[in-house]
Amino acid sequence: MTTMLDVGAGTAAIAARVCDAIDTRTPLRVVGAGTWLGGGLVADSARTPTETLSVREHAGIVDYVAGDFTITARAGTTLAEIAAVTARENQWLTLDPMGSDAGTLGATIATASAGPLATGFGGPRDIVLGLEAVTGRGAVIRGGGRVVKNVAGFDLTRLLTGAWGTLGIVTEVSVRLRARPECDETIAITIGASPADVAHVCASLQTWPFAPMAMELLSASLAQRVTGAATTVALIRISGNERDVRAQAAAVDMLGLRVPFDADVWTRYRSAEPTGACVFRLSAPRTRLPNLWEMATRIAAANDGAMYSATPARGVVRCILPQPDRANLSLGSANEATLIVEQAAGVAFPARPVDATIGQLERRLRDAFNPTGTLNPGVMVRTS
Amino acid sequence: VPSALASALAAIVGPSRVLERDSELLTYSSDGLPQYNVRPQLAVFPGTRDEVIAVVRELAARKVPFVPRGAGTGLSGGALADGIVLLGMHRLRRIISIDAANGLAVVEPGVVNANLSRATAPFGLYYAPDPSSQTACTIGGNVAENAGGPHCLKYGVTTNHVVAVTAVLASGEVVTLGNAGGENDGYDLVGAFVGSEGCFGVTLEVTVRLLKLPEAVRTMLADFMSIDSAARAVSAIVAAGIVPAALEMVDQPTVRAVEASIYAAGYPTDAAAVLLIELDGATAGIEYDVARVEQLVRDAGARTVRTATDPVERARLWQGRKKAFGAMGRLAPHLVVQDAVVPRTQLPAVLAEIQRIADETRVVVCNVFHAGDGNLHPNIPYDANDEKEASRVHEAMRRIMAACIAAGGTITGEHGIGVDKLPYMDAIFSPASLDAMCALRSVFDPDRRSNPQKVVPLHACREWFAAPAARP
Repeated sequence: MTTMLDVGAGTAAIAARVCDAIDTRTPLRVVGAGTWLGGGLVADSARTPTETLSVREHAGIVDYVAGDFTITARAGTTLAEIAAVTARENQWLTLDPMGSDAGTLGATIATASAGPLATGFGGPRDIVLGLEAVTGRGAVIRGGGRVVKNVAGFDLTRLLTGAWGTLGIVTEVSVRLRARPECDETIAITIGASPADVAHVCASLQTWPFAPMAMELLSASLAQRVTGAATTVALIRISGNERDVRAQAAAVDMLGLRVPFDADVWTRYRSAEPTGACVFRLSAPRTRLPNLWEMATRIAAANDGAMYSATPARGVVRCILPQPDRANLSLGSANEATLIVEQAAGVAFPARPVDATIGQLERRLRDAFNPTGTLNPGVMVRTS
Repeated sequence: VPSALASALAAIVGPSRVLERDSELLTYSSDGLPQYNVRPQLAVFPGTRDEVIAVVRELAARKVPFVPRGAGTGLSGGALADGIVLLGMHRLRRIISIDAANGLAVVEPGVVNANLSRATAPFGLYYAPDPSSQTACTIGGNVAENAGGPHCLKYGVTTNHVVAVTAVLASGEVVTLGNAGGENDGYDLVGAFVGSEGCFGVTLEVTVRLLKLPEAVRTMLADFMSIDSAARAVSAIVAAGIVPAALEMVDQPTVRAVEASIYAAGYPTDAAAVLLIELDGATAGIEYDVARVEQLVRDAGARTVRTATDPVERARLWQGRKKAFGAMGRLAPHLVVQDAVVPRTQLPAVLAEIQRIADETRVVVCNVFHAGDGNLHPNIPYDANDEKEASRVHEAMRRIMAACIAAGGTITGEHGIGVDKLPYMDAIFSPASLDAMCALRSVFDPDRRSNPQKVVPLHACREWFAAPAARP
């Protein structure tokens, strides 16, 4: 009665490569499309391995039954490839990490990278149903499954989601899909740039009887790059049936005047940062977003060409410094916020303090799943 | 004469909060699955967070294994303590804070699920996961089991709503997993902990996300003359891109049991199955969606469709569904409660297969389940004292589980593995995957003293053989 899924040739080859690396004590850098190489929290660049193991060629849809609203694909499959297949069934994978759809599904899950749609649909941990991985012991493991509800066994799936390949190399992923909404409309509204203006927008979001699929506030510098308008902009994506969307648009219009934009506005927003930029996020409970916004405004004033945006529903501000070599960062009261570095780009960030017991649990996790440190050494390490 | 252990624990919680006599422990010898019956060595009921920590540290010092327990409504035997210490958490029932502006609440583990939503309702907020036992079960138990419920179709299960957990590990160390003050910035330890069935530690405090109460809610009841057409209606609704807040199916044997009970909800007893469909959202567009769903279910063969808008009528329709397991008590002295998940498109085929199995084994299956998720609950009322009947029931259950696995499904969607599903773990996980689960458990509880011998079969964990016999 077993339906235990076979390990494909690709996964077996990856496992063999890991076993070799363990034997020869060769640390491996695990990559998908290679767009997140600067991430992984405080990466210890001194220990960056010279050998890379790319899962990009380990690609392809394994299983897609449209009526189940789930898809299983190998890690190297790009988000664009998944979008193309699911669009034929009027469905979509609501994962739109910053960067582009050239990124792989495996890396999106391994790095738990979320984008604007997380406001409406949650992040990778809410969308992933199951996965296959090769651990740092060379073992092929599976967690979860292909069904939308599953509590069988301990949650290896969420453990590996966002573990940056330091516990195992994600080789295959099952995710939940959504039907394309009947109406999908984006509105760009010009808003004031002060923390009080941001507070007003956040308060409006809480009173609306609907949840937008996405809502991002763009600094004037970022809005100019994305929409062409050199003013602070709220980019809001609403959905539902025609009546829903009409009512939602009316509520959104109360915030300010519309500004025009191109059809690819979200693509541009996700890929606004120039190559080599330093990118980091600050987060706090959502009522503190105006404080984070103020902090970002101050940082931007001290850094030429800096851009920033905020996600009101998630209490996150994201800053882009295009000239990291001339970065002028004083995070000041940043200890009241959680700092997550997406691309350090050589900028020195303060070491992250960690509770001793959490540190112990994290060490034990690595000892259990990646005891020789073969996979992504230096990544997800709290202190360098 | 109290044992040395009982005396030590009584010094922490008071003598009346430590039970050691057989007659007192009888209550705690089962959870929601009464076919399992094992007596704890003793039961201890701390009343505060500090008492819990002190108790766990005392147990750690004595290397005594223990089983944390909430309300004991679990349906997989997860809260059974076989000759070891039972740690009852239900006295910790304070809602510590409600932060309405940030949509967060901090609660103690013994808070009853339904009480949390009741407390947050004045702020226009609620806690979404709603297991059918929500008027009795606790948030701590929900966290341990990663509990689901009808409204998880649209809003997700417990793990999607827990932001942070403070727990005392079996070693006695207290640790906060997750980050209530922003994004999580390390491994997803909350994700690992939620659903760990009490094997990773004891929850002391949970920070949960609260959602805005919807502006409009419509509950629809559609009845069908065949299960197959009801199952096709489910597929049609989902395929149309409508995500109902809940989409539940109740079959005829269940409807009849419910309608004969004090929970009668006005379901038609001559229908082969009824669907309970709830839509929620903004007032602006909801009637349009109600009309679409009505058309879809009629096209799939619904005989009648009723829509309830006022809260009293809606509550009545829901009562029949939520109390269905209880109503089955009318049919026979015992009930096997089952929980499995299949891909939604497999529902019609699997339901037909379940009926075939029921006919061949001469048992009555009562199906009442979360159809929108493909999460089945094929329950069988029977008399456990009738050995022949009991063996037919067990045969039917084995075959039903095999059918669900063969259809690409899983062995539990929300009840957990506990002890009840242990025999099926090998059927869906490879030895390497089970080994990884054992390793994960050891990260949190290296001595494997918190809820031992649950979730992962002993033989699957090579390292478990080396575990010391940790009995007092």
